[in-house]
Amino acid sequence: MNTFQKIPVTILTGFLGSGKTTLLNRILSEEHGKRIAVIENEYGEVGIDQALVIDADEEIFEMSNGCICCTVRGDLIRVLGNLMKRRDKFDYVLVETTGLADPGPVAQTFFMDDEIREEFSLDGIVTLVDAAHIEQQLGRSDESTEQIAFADILVLNKTDLVDDEALDGLEIRLRDMNRMAQVVRSERANLPVGKVLNLSAFDLDQALERRPTFLEPEYPFEWTGVYALGPGRYELSLAEGPDPSMSLVAVSGQGVDDAALREGAEWCVRRYAEPAEPVRPGEKIIIGKHLNLQLDSRGRKSFFLETDTPARVGLYAQHTAEEFDLQLSSAEGAAISPEAERTWVAQHEHDDEVGSIAIERDGDVDPEKLNAWLSELLRERGVDIFRMKGFISVAGEPRRFVFQGVHMLFDGQPDRPWGDMPRRNQLIFIGRNLDEAGMRRGFDACLI
Amino acid sequence: MPDLNAGKSQGVLRRGWSAAVGDYAIAGGWTRGGDALVVGDSAGGVHAFDGRSGASAWARQKAHDGGLLAMAIRPDGAAFATAGQDGRVLIWSVAEGRPSHAIELAGDWVENVAWSPDGRWLAASCSRQVHVYGADGAEAWRSDDHPSTVSAIAWSAAGELATACYGRVAFFDGSAGALRQKLEWKGSLVSMALSPDGDIVACGSQDNSVHFWRRSMEEDSMMSGYPGKPSALAFDATGTLLATGGGSAVTVWSFQGGGPEGTRPGVLEFHARSVTTLAFAGRAMRLASGGRDGAVVVWSMQRDGEGAPIGAAVVADVVAGLRWRPDGRALAALDARGGVTVWRTA
Repeated sequence: MNTFQKIPVTILTGFLGSGKTTLLNRILSEEHGKRIAVIENEYGEVGIDQALVIDADEEIFEMSNGCICCTVRGDLIRVLGNLMKRRDKFDYVLVETTGLADPGPVAQTFFMDDEIREEFSLDGIVTLVDAAHIEQQLGRSDESTEQIAFADILVLNKTDLVDDEALDGLEIRLRDMNRMAQVVRSERANLPVGKVLNLSAFDLDQALERRPTFLEPEYPFEWTGVYALGPGRYELSLAEGPDPSMSLVAVSGQGVDDAALREGAEWCVRRYAEPAEPVRPGEKIIIGKHLNLQLDSRGRKSFFLETDTPARVGLYAQHTAEEFDLQLSSAEGAAISPEAERTWVAQHEHDDEVGSIAIERDGDVDPEKLNAWLSELLRERGVDIFRMKGFISVAGEPRRFVFQGVHMLFDGQPDRPWGDMPRRNQLIFIGRNLDEAGMRRGFDACLI
Repeated sequence: MPDLNAGKSQGVLRRGWSAAVGDYAIAGGWTRGGDALVVGDSAGGVHAFDGRSGASAWARQKAHDGGLLAMAIRPDGAAFATAGQDGRVLIWSVAEGRPSHAIELAGDWVENVAWSPDGRWLAASCSRQVHVYGADGAEAWRSDDHPSTVSAIAWSAAGELATACYGRVAFFDGSAGALRQKLEWKGSLVSMALSPDGDIVACGSQDNSVHFWRRSMEEDSMMSGYPGKPSALAFDATGTLLATGGGSAVTVWSFQGGGPEGTRPGVLEFHARSVTTLAFAGRAMRLASGGRDGAVVVWSMQRDGEGAPIGAAVVADVVAGLRWRPDGRALAALDARGGVTVWRTA
């Protein structure tokens, strides 16, 4: 008889000073048409009248369910239990954790309590990161590491306090730790509310419909430069570098802000997946094509770029500009500086304990072997696995099997038929000190 | 199993009257021997209906800002108490339809209220403390902080106050507040029922079990195997039967002989979804159960825990509470859509 929609719940985490309260107030003021309940564990300065703000003592306890033991938040069970009785009054619930909270028990509450599961859906975990202080925090506390590991969205906040190069480096480090999360940048938590609410991050079917992968891309290019060019002919020159060739995609109409760069990057990831066309020195650079610049001859080499109209051109290069001393100059020989630059490469210079493991394989798996492997993995390493998501091609099953989990808690079901889609498997685990090679071997042994 | 249509009733349940309140009917009870039924809703409204006709006697909106959480009828039926998210406890006169006393607590939700059997004391729990007031609303005593939020409270016939929270049940001297007994068990206790003589205390636990203690013998036992958390518990008037929810079946443990340890419980199957509330009639071995499926069932019980359905009805939404009229000749159901349905019972 209850045909209503479940109420979505977003968990906001982040260290003290990362901007949780600012973001919360922003959401409440922008979503003023909606009735939002906020559950907090420490007094914040939430000053919006229409929101119901509930202060609850954080009460974490262990509970077992069969052979699985995990921690949940007793206060949330009680408070949500009472809120659900006024269901017509609320459109959304935001849970703001303390700065030192481990998001695990909050997330697990939504898996473990049947009544909560029936009435609420965990929409996503949003973690705010103070760009100026996170490096120190990561070194000192497990909690900030866990908050990053659990996130669906990582908001790199206070970007105005840090230079671009440091931001790029920080983003690389965060993405290394959590390849499932989308990273967005903001100055004073001033990001569109749509970036953090209604993500359906725990509704895998919906999440996959929006984007056919759980993985944030690993970019095949390391550097982007955006140049404002008038009509004319330009020379792109490169010195000798570490490799005999370099891939490049040039994009016309490239914007310079973070969102535009990301959008360009996503587009270029797809161009990079296409076969590259070799281009020799003296030849023209074609806009919008995956090119492979031939650099095996001695000395500086020049290529040509033409535009008929004024345009911003983005160069997405396989290596950084420094490595080949890449320069763009006008026909008259005047050097042109990029209007914007950024690096993308995963440098792996940080050796964080927490990281992401992605397994992608074509073909079908044997369901019994997979079950045995996953059960053992979760039993033995569940404590160290923060999040997992994936889809599986099970032999003999016409539908795709999707799953997700938090620590030992695992939730999976068949969703849509494969149809014409190529049958493949994608699994992502975010955890601490995971044995990547061993896990890959383990999964491969399940393949038929 | 009878096929039921919404609003239809069968067996011993004979249509009486129905009414509606403003939101989820969260708590209620019969006053003055059944002259009136008072009902609180989750929007904070308090409503009184004539017990026989269902006509509205009076109604007060927004008695508790943010919503009402609990209600308790004083044993003499002339007054009742409500508590809510506004951190207040109100003591109401049934006849006047307005609060005679308002008690401000610390500002947190007040989630439980209960009157002592002699009607002299009113207990209220708020966060980790329990407070006890006299009939005039003056505080008699308050407990120290419990280890976690108090989830349930109950009085024994002897005038002790029991509190449940994560990890323990505690018994206090009801008039003076001295801590008399602590019964510890590592689990989140979500519900509590005391046997009429106060010797057995049973708690439903978040991890899908029922834990109970025999206080005089210092024994405890755990009944597990429930598919869900047993948030509904009820003892019959003789203390022989303990009915428990925790799934779509009503599981009834019998304490006759050496039970319930080592015995099989009665398993009463009728509900299609989880059982949400249970109530024994004051006399006779009649048990009423309500569920998320909106069904209300009356069972004729035996002393061994077995039972047979003798009446059934369906209301519009999840059954939030069932209240037998003190004479056992009428049953009221409160539901999640704000419906109040009363049947006469044959």
